[in-house]
Amino acid sequence: MIEILRVIYSSSLLQMRQSFARATFRFVIVIQPIIFAFMTYMMYRGSGRENYLAYVVLGTGILSLWSAITFSSAGDIERERFMGTLEIITATPSNFQLIIFGKVIGNTILGLMSMVITFVFVAIAYQVQLTIEHPVIFISSLLVSLLSFMGISMLMATFFTLSRNARALMNVLEYPVFILCGVLFPIDILPLWTRPLSYILSPTWAVKILRESVLGIENTNLFMINVLILLAITGIYFIIASISFRKIDKQTRIKATLGVH
Amino acid sequence: METIIQVENLMRVYDSTIGIIKRKKIKVNALNGISFEVKRGEIFGLLGPNGAGKTTTIKILTTLLAPTSGNAKVLGYKAFGDEKKLRPRINFIFGGERSLYWRLSGRDNLLYFADLYKVDKETRKKRIPELLQLVGLTDRADEKVESYSKGMKQRLQIARGLINDPEVIFLDEPTIGLDPVGARDLRKMITMLSDLGKTIMLTTHYMYEADELCDRIAIIDNGNIVALDTPQNLKKLAKGLAVLELKILGIDKMKVDEIKAVPGIATVTIKQEDQVQILQIQCEDPSFMTQKVMDILSENEVIGVNIREATLEDIYLKLVGGKL
Repeated sequence: MIEILRVIYSSSLLQMRQSFARATFRFVIVIQPIIFAFMTYMMYRGSGRENYLAYVVLGTGILSLWSAITFSSAGDIERERFMGTLEIITATPSNFQLIIFGKVIGNTILGLMSMVITFVFVAIAYQVQLTIEHPVIFISSLLVSLLSFMGISMLMATFFTLSRNARALMNVLEYPVFILCGVLFPIDILPLWTRPLSYILSPTWAVKILRESVLGIENTNLFMINVLILLAITGIYFIIASISFRKIDKQTRIKATLGVH
Repeated sequence: METIIQVENLMRVYDSTIGIIKRKKIKVNALNGISFEVKRGEIFGLLGPNGAGKTTTIKILTTLLAPTSGNAKVLGYKAFGDEKKLRPRINFIFGGERSLYWRLSGRDNLLYFADLYKVDKETRKKRIPELLQLVGLTDRADEKVESYSKGMKQRLQIARGLINDPEVIFLDEPTIGLDPVGARDLRKMITMLSDLGKTIMLTTHYMYEADELCDRIAIIDNGNIVALDTPQNLKKLAKGLAVLELKILGIDKMKVDEIKAVPGIATVTIKQEDQVQILQIQCEDPSFMTQKVMDILSENEVIGVNIREATLEDIYLKLVGGKL
């Protein structure tokens, strides 16, 4: 057990050190949230909504978290492949799934940093005091949401390990999720055919429960249902990721996709 | 002596595509059913030109690649199938500067891999300083790898490859890109590892390196083993052969083909050195052959002629058809 925890701990630490050493990632973590916050503030200012700053903070926070997780989890596999370390880490006695899980935790922690930067920026720049209606529920919702984002990250990591053309996919994934999951606008305004896509993406449910726990829960039953849906989708992500990880050890060696030679 | 590596009829086929718009799937045979064995404590060399199948062989044996057919066993375990049991007991070092985390320090790289190889805390505490000492990086251990020279990165790779105290070490072109001093130091290190009782398998395309280090050498070309013996026995293949070396300015393929067709000539290879081409002709009677070759080259500018005895490198060139 200690060995497993060590692998996860040292992989997440390595991930954070590696990521933070890159200027692009520092931009994604520190500068981008501020730009997002400014843009969403300008958009929401004239919306006439009460407590619109909560929308700004939450929307931007989730945007930043998502960016950090997708950008890093996807790009890192590719980077490791080009550095030649992907082959090395897969050939160690440690479970590759645990190594990636550690890396995803590292990314999530950095993503959270991004969220905090957004909170601080909005609070200082717009001189507002942000109120959270249900702090305990908010923290619990945040934890469930983070778990869900980690599930997506693990799932994506399996695709990126198997495919050498995954880099394109990484760039495609970031923006549509903002729209499809209702991070800034309600999904009700989107065409009906996009709805199934929104529903299978866990950020849609994460946004709902986070927003309600900040602004106030109108219907407890509905809130609980949303939490359960989020947990179920997250569970499915982890199950598919785990099955995929078991398969990729063999598949990558048959397809010879671990290195670039 | 105990057999540590056992390879039987090993084949590997890669799927690839050609063309951009009309993509066509093709199969590339990297290994065509090679067989060999390596005994405990041996330094075994795989020698061959680029694309011969050396790296593919190493990757299969280090559990990084699946064979298409045939058997590959290390320490009695199948490289594809028993990897869980095999991985803790082997390690590998690839040539070049990759396979390290450049933005971390040398020490942090070793610490991370110690965790991945499940080296316990006590052992790690003792082993990492020892390894840093062994590869001469103690003073620079806390600097980022990106600031290291090529030779230092190679040495750090050696330390990483020894982090789990492996019984079998695989080295893929370990001295590639190193300056002569760096390459010599690395060869010393390999000899020292062998003295510690490690079984070592290395690939190289430097003949002298294989000659200096290896107990036995397999020469591999186009996915086939074309010779397998001790360096001493391989050298015996050169007996009776001599090399006629000509320095020429501008020789075309037709002339080379004409020379190749002369009866009594074993092989013809061309090396380019600056603007001069060096034609190496292996034959039994170079004095007799000189006139014949000079006749063919009557329209070319020949700026030097030399006759020498054949070396191990010439044997290698003969076996792999001058594709060095």
